[in-house]
Amino acid sequence: MRIEKCYFCSAPVYPGHGMMFVRNDCKMFRFCRSKCHRNFKRKRNPRKTRWTKAFRKSAGKELTVDNSLEFEKRRNIPVKYNRELWSKTVEAMKKVEAIKNKRQARFIFNRLKKGKELEKAADISEVKKNIHLIKAPHAGQAKQLEDKMVQKLAEDVEMDE
Amino acid sequence: MALYNFKKIMVVPTAKDFIDLTLSKTQRKTPTVIHKHYQIHRIRHFYMRKVKFTQQNYHDRLSQILTDFPKLDDIHPFYADLMNVLYDKDHYKLALGQINIAKNLIDNVAKDYVRLMKYGDSLYRCKQLKRAALGRMCTILKRQKQSLEYLEQVRQHLSRLPTIDPNTRTLLLCGYPNVGKSSFINKVTRADVEVQPYAFTTKSLFVGHMDYKYLRWQVVDTPGILDHPLEERNTIEMQAITALAHLRAAVLYVMDVSEQCGHTLAQQLELFNNIRPLFANKPLIVMANKCDVKKISELSEENQKIFADISAEGVTVIETSSLTEEGVMQVKTEACDRLLAHRVDAKMKSKKVHDVLNRLHLAVPAKRDQKERPPFIPEGALLRRKAMETDAPKRKLERDLEVEMGDDYTLDLQKYWDLMNPEEKQDKIPEIWEGHNIADYIDPDIMKRLEDLEQEEELREKAGEYDSEEESEDEEMKEIRQLASQIREKRKLKILASKEKDTQGPRMPRTAKKVDRVTLEKEMSDLGLDMTDKNDSHYAQRSRSLVRKRKREVSAPPLSRTRSQSASRPPRDQSGVRDAKMLKKVKTMMKSSQKDMNRQGRKGESDRHVFDLKPKHLLAGKRKSGTTSRR
Repeated sequence: MRIEKCYFCSAPVYPGHGMMFVRNDCKMFRFCRSKCHRNFKRKRNPRKTRWTKAFRKSAGKELTVDNSLEFEKRRNIPVKYNRELWSKTVEAMKKVEAIKNKRQARFIFNRLKKGKELEKAADISEVKKNIHLIKAPHAGQAKQLEDKMVQKLAEDVEMDE
Repeated sequence: MALYNFKKIMVVPTAKDFIDLTLSKTQRKTPTVIHKHYQIHRIRHFYMRKVKFTQQNYHDRLSQILTDFPKLDDIHPFYADLMNVLYDKDHYKLALGQINIAKNLIDNVAKDYVRLMKYGDSLYRCKQLKRAALGRMCTILKRQKQSLEYLEQVRQHLSRLPTIDPNTRTLLLCGYPNVGKSSFINKVTRADVEVQPYAFTTKSLFVGHMDYKYLRWQVVDTPGILDHPLEERNTIEMQAITALAHLRAAVLYVMDVSEQCGHTLAQQLELFNNIRPLFANKPLIVMANKCDVKKISELSEENQKIFADISAEGVTVIETSSLTEEGVMQVKTEACDRLLAHRVDAKMKSKKVHDVLNRLHLAVPAKRDQKERPPFIPEGALLRRKAMETDAPKRKLERDLEVEMGDDYTLDLQKYWDLMNPEEKQDKIPEIWEGHNIADYIDPDIMKRLEDLEQEEELREKAGEYDSEEESEDEEMKEIRQLASQIREKRKLKILASKEKDTQGPRMPRTAKKVDRVTLEKEMSDLGLDMTDKNDSHYAQRSRSLVRKRKREVSAPPLSRTRSQSASRPPRDQSGVRDAKMLKKVKTMMKSSQKDMNRQGRKGESDRHVFDLKPKHLLAGKRKSGTTSRR
């Protein structure tokens, strides 16, 4: 029993789900749901369909080359069961998974950092250009003038004294 | 050689059926519609076609019968003789000859009438000719009724004849009736011939097949033969004689030692000597059957002498019993071997030896020195052979286990696994974890790789990759962000408000709208300006138009002169009118000038609108009494 990968969107296909199509050249295509199947039948390229993992990886939106990703690989030669090996593998899997997630998250975070700077700059320019929509140019000026005058008067009074 | 399978002969219909069949076929398959006004060549063609069609059908069918039935000269003499015995050669040939003649007659009839049809000048004549032609053809066939019936019976019987191959290895059983020939064939082959106590149970030839030395053998069972001269023999016996005469087989003459068949040994011996000529050139064995009842040694002196005589002549005598199967095998092997030897001899002497020589003679290379070279048999084969011979205790099968345990049995193939630690055989192996296949991660050096990975991770962490950057945002930046979001919100609201405008309707200039003091002050205070204490500002002065009308005070003089001037002007209908008389005339003039217009229902001179272009009361209806000069 294996969890396969959907040919179109690379989602996991659990046993009892999805469909498989076998072509005349004996290549098998598994699909997780009819959405992927129908897209395939319409001859769409998964590398150009934006919501698929294939697109995301080929467009550099997700981590592609990494050591932590090399652990999960389809092996064609089966290994004889060995309790120790299996239990160690399960533990290793958990650790590898943790590391993998961390690295993937960091990759995306770095990608989105640039956006944050652009956001900042946009805010600043927005404020500079359109501050008049929320604050009149001479909003506090009357008060300021008054204060100044009061201050001046006070000084004069002081000077007089 | 022609086929020995006579099952493929077409059914021969009776005369009546044949006629009906052909005539209905003619009716169905040729055009049926003809009228007398058609052109004469068309009519002629129509009827000629029918005649020819009928003739064609008869011809075809009869030819088929003639070709299907075997020609007695063409088939193996055994079958020819058999058919002669069963069906009488002369009668058979005659029947077929009659059919042939009928065929030719029909052809001639058709030819004649077609020729005559060319001179038919009307539909009636042609039709009569056709009727005559068809009638004659059918009569010819009616006369063949007897032949057709006979041929049908022959066909049915022929198809049920046993297929005996005259050229292959055959064993032939013969003897008096009831001696045990059929029982023997039942024992030796898979044939199931009827065995009954009365004589002539077997009425025709029967074939059984058996295997010996990897070859197929035919065993032919014959009906019993009685001791008469050849001319007096009946059909059933003649079949046996035919078989004896024509088949090159090993003959097994069956004698009944116990004389239960109803004939003494002397009579059986008589018969044997009479048929002797038929056994020339054939391996012969005498079977002393029913020896379970009486053995030869128990017989009387004379009878024993009979047997002694026979064996003295060089003929093998074997005691058998079909009941106890004693001696049956012996007979079989003996007969088969002798027949094989006989056949091999015959082949050697014939011209075709070289074709079969590879089957008769095994060529062995000549020895070049005295060294012994025995065939090599590997040890394993010897062991296997030994193991096969001894009754080794078989290992316990799963089936045995299942039977033992009954309902509790579960098929557990894991116990046959070949693992490094056998105690792990019963483990439940995990396959999937959190959406990943464990089989994809299995690697002998996974731990080493994991260590490398962890080290790398540590290095990265040390290098500071995973430090979450503090939001180094000072107060200023926060404020800017807040302002920016407010600005964006405000803009959106403004856009929404402008979208609600009615751009299609009439556009009023901005100044036509009145500006509310309250909204103005609210807006400006939202923008941050101080709007308190603004009663003296220009926009707060109430305009004159908003002044509510107060009760007029008598002492207050009018502030403006607007109304007074208009009060002094005379109304228009009185200006320029000198006196009341003129006023009256003026009024009548006004009214009369309007009269016409009012009557016509027009607003004025320029009103040429017609309310009803086609008034119904003028255009509908008949021209009844009244004027018809206009509509």
